[in-house]
Amino acid sequence: MDFNLTEEQQMLQDMLSRLVRDHYSFEKRMSHYASQEGYSTAFWQQLAEQGLTGVPIDEAYGGFGGGGVENMLLMKELGRGLCLEPVLASQIFAAGLLQQLGNKEQKEKILPLVASGELKLAAALTETNSHYSLQHVACRARQQGDTWFLSGQKSVVVGGASADLLLVSARTAGEQGDPEGISLFLVEPWAKGVTRNAYPCIDGPRACDLLLDEVMVGRGGVLGKPGQVFTTLQYQQERAAAAACAEALGSMEEAFTLTLDYLKTRQQFGQPIGKFQALQHRMADMRGELELATSMTLLAASLADHPPSDERSRKLAASRFIITRAARFIAEQAIQLHGGIGMTWEYALAHHAKRLVMLSHHLGDEDTHLQRFADLLKAS
Amino acid sequence: MKILVGIKRVVDYNVKVRVKADQSGVDLTNVKMSMNPFCEIAVEEAVRLKEKGIATEIVAVSIGPKTAQEQLRTAMALGADRGILVETDEPLGSLAVAKILAKVAAEEQPQILMMGKQSIDTDNNQTTQMLAALTGYAQGTFASELTVAGDKATVKREIDGGLQTVELKLPAVISADLRLNEPRYAKLPDIMKAKKKPLDTKTPADYGVDTASKVKTLKVEPPAERAAGIKVGSVEELVNKLKNEAKVV
Repeated sequence: MDFNLTEEQQMLQDMLSRLVRDHYSFEKRMSHYASQEGYSTAFWQQLAEQGLTGVPIDEAYGGFGGGGVENMLLMKELGRGLCLEPVLASQIFAAGLLQQLGNKEQKEKILPLVASGELKLAAALTETNSHYSLQHVACRARQQGDTWFLSGQKSVVVGGASADLLLVSARTAGEQGDPEGISLFLVEPWAKGVTRNAYPCIDGPRACDLLLDEVMVGRGGVLGKPGQVFTTLQYQQERAAAAACAEALGSMEEAFTLTLDYLKTRQQFGQPIGKFQALQHRMADMRGELELATSMTLLAASLADHPPSDERSRKLAASRFIITRAARFIAEQAIQLHGGIGMTWEYALAHHAKRLVMLSHHLGDEDTHLQRFADLLKAS
Repeated sequence: MKILVGIKRVVDYNVKVRVKADQSGVDLTNVKMSMNPFCEIAVEEAVRLKEKGIATEIVAVSIGPKTAQEQLRTAMALGADRGILVETDEPLGSLAVAKILAKVAAEEQPQILMMGKQSIDTDNNQTTQMLAALTGYAQGTFASELTVAGDKATVKREIDGGLQTVELKLPAVISADLRLNEPRYAKLPDIMKAKKKPLDTKTPADYGVDTASKVKTLKVEPPAERAAGIKVGSVEELVNKLKNEAKVV
């Protein structure tokens, strides 16, 4: 297997790493975090100008037509800079759903705007108590002629606070927990009956809870075949999870570098603390986990856009499991090795640690992925 | 007007370089390589001249290993129209590079030869000047501002203690200083277009240039480590130390 990047991928990575390094210092990141939007609109604009918001979008709709590897390069560098812009939520996850489920008219109308960064999307799929299960949908859609009326609530819609268009899953048939009977709708956040309660997540990005009260959606707002979108939701969530692996990897690499620098700098008992063997062992363990995470991120990136199959899902679950484990391990060890400074708000490591712990719960936690891996292994 | 831009593949400016154990040079194993930052400024200036409608074609040329095509592709993603790689695995001295570039210039007949003022690996700052001597073109080194009108170029040069403005008759060799411009980032669509732009590969032998170096590197050493500073308790103590220990006051 050739792990070398192509010339274009290499240039993409170089440009991205430079862009993030030049425009997303930790101090700038903290001011973006404190801003009203919770991210930098100027940086978003810059991503758009460089063509980066179009990386995961099909060429036919003004994007770059990038696959798993390009998404990996994008998210890894954004993860390294702890970037707050909703690239994963909007451009990869929600736009992926739209690309797969949308009809020609919907795609032609929306995707070019998404690729150019003018329109941001968010997928509202989870609910209170759904615990990572996409089939746990209590939100209901009632049909009346050509119109649907949505009622219910959605929780922790990452990127939902800044989204211009929401993709909301709702039940059109069956009982709560049935994989059948789930549909996906395009909902404008300012439509009548939509209440959006936005808040910052503990690790930085903004999310929102949605309350839907008889929200009217016309025929043009239905994505895919009503009642039959569950497998697509799962496929795209796995694809987004692969990109989240890359984001975590970028953050892990940065946390590792910061810790190594600290160990070489901080003096105790007349020498740098990195001279102590007990701490060297911890660094070696971190490096080991980081290497495993790197390999599994590459595996996830290479499989993310494969056609749906149990083997793809199983390997992606394995990747996510290893990455969530590594992310928590590296975050916790980095804090231990730093001591009190590692928990300081003004220091980047504390925010990497928070982001890593939260990324290990985003789109499924360690137990969820391990269970899914075991189930698929048993079924094969 | 045609502009020929010389670019060099060097260790990325963010890499902390390490000297090889045998002190024969810098360890380049698995080290990230990039375009020399001053060359990037030169490419940017050429692209800006093209955007202003002054230049019509930009040719990027690099002399180095096969992998230097990556830097040529980057130059093409930034706006160069085509590339020429003069492939050699030998490390070349400034004179050999200048001789090859002079031959390329004779073939291409550019009106402006843009270069970076120096490369960040060897820091020689010689090639532009040698190239000007070999070609007989006018030279404007350390440019921090460039204006081209008709067959003349006005270059504001950064010199010790101030700025000097010179007027050059084209064709001319111009080297870019840090403040000439701020290079752009390559856009994704341009990265894709760069793949389709033509890239010629030549060898120094094609130009009949003898690249044998007359300079031999004897030893490479890292700079001395900076000693830790000290804290003083009062202004009096500081003045005392500056007077009696450092002897600078």
